[in-house]
Amino acid sequence: MGLASLDLVDFRSFPAAQFSPDPDGTTVLLAPNGTGKTSILEAIGYLGTARSFRGATRDVMIRNGADDAYVRATVRRADTDVLIESQLSRHGRSRIQVNRQPAKTRRDLADAVAVTTFAPEDVSVVRGGPALRRDVLDDALLLLEPTAGSLLEDAARVLRQRGALLRQLHGRLGASEATTLDVWDERLGALGDELAARREALAVALSPRIAELYRTLAGEDGGVTATYARSWAGALLAALAVARSDDVRRGVSTIGPHRDDVVLTVDGRDARTQASQGEQRSLALAIRIAVHVEATAARGEPPLLLLDDVFSELDLGRSARLLELLPRGQTLLTTAVPPPAGLAGADLVDVRELHRDP
Amino acid sequence: MYPQPLRALIDELGRLPGIGPKSAQRMAFYLLRQPDEDARRLAGALVEMREQTSLCDVCCNVADRSGRCDTCSDTRRDTSVICVVEDPRDVVAVERSGAFRGTYHVLHGALSPLEGVGPDQLRIAELKSRLADGGVAEVIVCTNPNVEGDATAMYLSRELSGFGISMTRPASGLPVGGDLEFADDATLGRAFDGRRPLEG
Repeated sequence: MGLASLDLVDFRSFPAAQFSPDPDGTTVLLAPNGTGKTSILEAIGYLGTARSFRGATRDVMIRNGADDAYVRATVRRADTDVLIESQLSRHGRSRIQVNRQPAKTRRDLADAVAVTTFAPEDVSVVRGGPALRRDVLDDALLLLEPTAGSLLEDAARVLRQRGALLRQLHGRLGASEATTLDVWDERLGALGDELAARREALAVALSPRIAELYRTLAGEDGGVTATYARSWAGALLAALAVARSDDVRRGVSTIGPHRDDVVLTVDGRDARTQASQGEQRSLALAIRIAVHVEATAARGEPPLLLLDDVFSELDLGRSARLLELLPRGQTLLTTAVPPPAGLAGADLVDVRELHRDP
Repeated sequence: MYPQPLRALIDELGRLPGIGPKSAQRMAFYLLRQPDEDARRLAGALVEMREQTSLCDVCCNVADRSGRCDTCSDTRRDTSVICVVEDPRDVVAVERSGAFRGTYHVLHGALSPLEGVGPDQLRIAELKSRLADGGVAEVIVCTNPNVEGDATAMYLSRELSGFGISMTRPASGLPVGGDLEFADDATLGRAFDGRRPLEG
């Protein structure tokens, strides 16, 4: 599987651009900063996930002065080509179609073009809040387990409904509202237990892989662990009963899968607060590559790998080791510094040459 | 831009579900060009719909002025079984299947705090009074198989447990005549959860 062509219209700084990378090989986007290298990766990532890996809103991805941006790609499969088209709209609804059929869920997109991204911002997965770490697990579940999509959607929906009910109570729970809250608790209890169990099993599977990758990348045995930490103990339904008065008083769900975290440690230290910047960067990269390797094993082929500006963060030795670790598949990477020797066979593309007349 | 009466019609049409400003404009100009009696017939149908319909005293489905819907007027229906649905359109769907000969109860929605819908906004009190009147042996809770429909079903099973009536929920699963490969993940997942032993 690989991206065979990419067309952009009014995306970021590109009025129009066309790009045809080698669907099975490695392509290096090489140009000075500020020329749109990352935008190319962002557009590809958007097709696979319906969002920007830079955390940008749709408005930001649409070129100044334009109302809509278009991203279109052809993905080459062993037997057939898949056409993915998306319209990002400033005013109307944004749409993504796979082979001219609307993609309804993120799972549809992941099936059409699975992507793994690593960007310098990813260090926030280690350094930032718990939501970013939960997202890593949830994105991985979507790639690895077919039924995770509806579980994630239902759990999010029940949490929103329960939150709305708690807000409407204004701190007071009558007998009639208690029965309604019971019902949402029961739904949240079942879905939350299942989601936490799936995330936990994934963290258990990923932890040794992350430790091994970290050892290779950092060149030292950091004794890395990744442990899923629930915001409750035992069955969620029973814990919700205990937390009820708190929840009612504060008008929010104080426990549940939306309050869980993944605790990362290096040498027994909390990686979030007590690891060096270098350790945090290596760990963030190890996490992404671990998910990538896991997804490759589960899907039988590597997801498309997007590496944004990864070599500026690693010295030559670590860059070379990283390249050796990656499963053989299509890789697109950007660099403002000369690429390491391990990339001798890669296609080099200057982003400034991708501009086309609109 | 348009004379006020035409603008008013465009605004009204534009408030209908699924009708945007462009469609509203097209419909208004279509009606403007039609013979006078066509427009009057439409207006008459709207007024009659408001004046001549009510909710059924028994099941809360849409009924005519008599206050009794077709199903509840039909003496051949089995009144010991009640199928609870969210919407009058769900009654039509179940009726088309021909698999059900009992009566209905229409809730007019599902529990959804996000949309401000709690138990008091649903026709649950009417259902309870039907059960209190006696003669009902089974309630089939046929709310939608989504987060809100499931929560509503669970709420009903709790609220109605005191009546000592058998409560069931239709099985969810694969469409008959459908291909396994075209079933969506969630449907297929539910079908596997609800699998039964093969007899033979």
